[in-house]
Amino acid sequence: MSLDTAPPPARQQRRATPPAPKGPSAAARWARRAPLLPALIFTIIVTQLPFVATLIISVLRWNSLDPDNRGFAGFDNYAAVFTDANLRSSIVTTVILTVVVVVVCLVLGLGLALLLDQKFRGRGLVRTMLIAPFLVVPVAAALLWKHALYNPEYGLFNGAITWLWSLFGADRPPQPEWISDMPLVAVEAALVWQWTPFMMLILLAGLQSRPMDVVEAARIDGATPWQIFRYLTFPHLRQYLELGGLLGSIYIVQNFDAVFTITSGGLGTANLPYTIYQTFYQAHDYGQASAAGVVVVIGSLIIANFALRVVSSLLKDEVK
Amino acid sequence: MTALLSEPPKVAPATAVPRRPRNKRQLLDWIAVHSVALAMGVIFTVPLVFVFLTSVMSDRQALTSNMWPTEWHFENFALVFEKAPMLTYLGNSLLYSVVATAGMLLSSVPAAYALARFRFRGSNAAFMLLIAAMMLPPQVVAVPLYSMWASAGLTGTLWPLIVPYLLGDAFSIFLLRQFFLTIPEDYLDAARIDGCNEFQILYRVLLPMTRPGIAAASLFTFLYTWNDYFGPLLYVGERQDSWPLSIALASFRGMHRATQWNLTMAATTLVLIPVLVLFLFAQKSFVRGITFTGVKG
Repeated sequence: MSLDTAPPPARQQRRATPPAPKGPSAAARWARRAPLLPALIFTIIVTQLPFVATLIISVLRWNSLDPDNRGFAGFDNYAAVFTDANLRSSIVTTVILTVVVVVVCLVLGLGLALLLDQKFRGRGLVRTMLIAPFLVVPVAAALLWKHALYNPEYGLFNGAITWLWSLFGADRPPQPEWISDMPLVAVEAALVWQWTPFMMLILLAGLQSRPMDVVEAARIDGATPWQIFRYLTFPHLRQYLELGGLLGSIYIVQNFDAVFTITSGGLGTANLPYTIYQTFYQAHDYGQASAAGVVVVIGSLIIANFALRVVSSLLKDEVK
Repeated sequence: MTALLSEPPKVAPATAVPRRPRNKRQLLDWIAVHSVALAMGVIFTVPLVFVFLTSVMSDRQALTSNMWPTEWHFENFALVFEKAPMLTYLGNSLLYSVVATAGMLLSSVPAAYALARFRFRGSNAAFMLLIAAMMLPPQVVAVPLYSMWASAGLTGTLWPLIVPYLLGDAFSIFLLRQFFLTIPEDYLDAARIDGCNEFQILYRVLLPMTRPGIAAASLFTFLYTWNDYFGPLLYVGERQDSWPLSIALASFRGMHRATQWNLTMAATTLVLIPVLVLFLFAQKSFVRGITFTGVKG
């Protein structure tokens, strides 16, 4: 605050010495920075080296149950990943799971963010209630969905159906076996419940950073709420939608807890992280597990890239 | 859904409190917003309430479709501690989360500062590599890391999970960088001219100004490690006395001959409480942390 009225002496001094384009000489600048850089470089090396190692292992023949038979395998592991029916189906499952969860979370999150952008009594409380699922330990959330909600005998869903039916005097309510009837949807619903709050918060931040004077001007010019949403709010939210989609994809692609807990990878819900875990921990095939891991990374890059393009091209058309 | 999309009459920006609805249309909007908000809040929290209700039911009642307990058994929470060495698990969870969070702060703060403030050849590449590291699923690098830790003889302990945080955590560095970028360079230049070295600038000038960022990064690291399931499963899955709460919880029902859902849910409640309490105290930092990942690519 006081900076505006009386610039501190330090700043004046700097302005008084005109040359010296950017502070001290390059050497002196480096001497100052040197102590800080190792932290950064070190972090990068530490985080990247394992991936390089994974790349190397992925072209090796290496099964810890058969340690003597280790050697260069070329692309055999990759061929195995793409020809093994289990692995192939887990790739498809991963894609479906990720896309469905991220898209549903974004749509629901947008609705909730628009709701929380309104002023109403109890908004803080509702916001806290909506964030709560994101805080639940994922394993606990998966257990909760599996036993407390989906269980056909004492779960909340079938309990609620029974109650609703009895309300209308009907007996014999339908009691679906949620997990075995619709395994993938069961996993997706649990993940949507947990990840919608995250999307909501990102999109809410986007909404609140809107320039309100433009919206006000549009309203005075007679724009309907829908027009304001479509031509002002939505284009503004674009980068927030992209960010939410990207971060969401990163986390959902690597989801392990929900699949492991709710279905134990059965009934066609095994995604790649689960399959990698199995290949590594049960089949002890290190080479093949690594190859599957590399496929996950490449796959998520492609999905993220594709999703971003689709979203941006859609929005570009709308802006015009 | 249309009720959500249509914006109700906005009050003038100056007045913060919503005014009472005056005409019929405003009244309808008012009712719509409140009822949708209430319904959504309830839908998102009802599973948690249900967990709590099951946790105070009797053994037999938990297996019925009744949702409201007819008798309240609060002693279930104490029973959880008798059935399983919960304190050991809690200790393991705290060891993992607290040491990792502290380590993250020591290692990632200087790295984030370097990334936010220094322009050098390759600084963009460094940033891209960091983002790449953030996006790397932990399962992908599990194989080389596991065999490395196995040859170091540390599998069966939580150290393979903690040590990486002492060396720097990509997501925290990214988050802290976003916060550090918001401080105008002028403040740092002033400190430089006053003779501070870069470490002094970081710890005396920048950190006090970015306390919410530090809080957010700590909170996220704590939450992530407290919730982590894959990591512990991989390294200590077969060593029960090194289990953190997340693993213990998942195996709780398998530990006894007959599954006791009420106790499983009581254990779940106990694991949830620390995080919920932490969140209630740090809600602002948490929300800012999430939203800050978005500002300024």
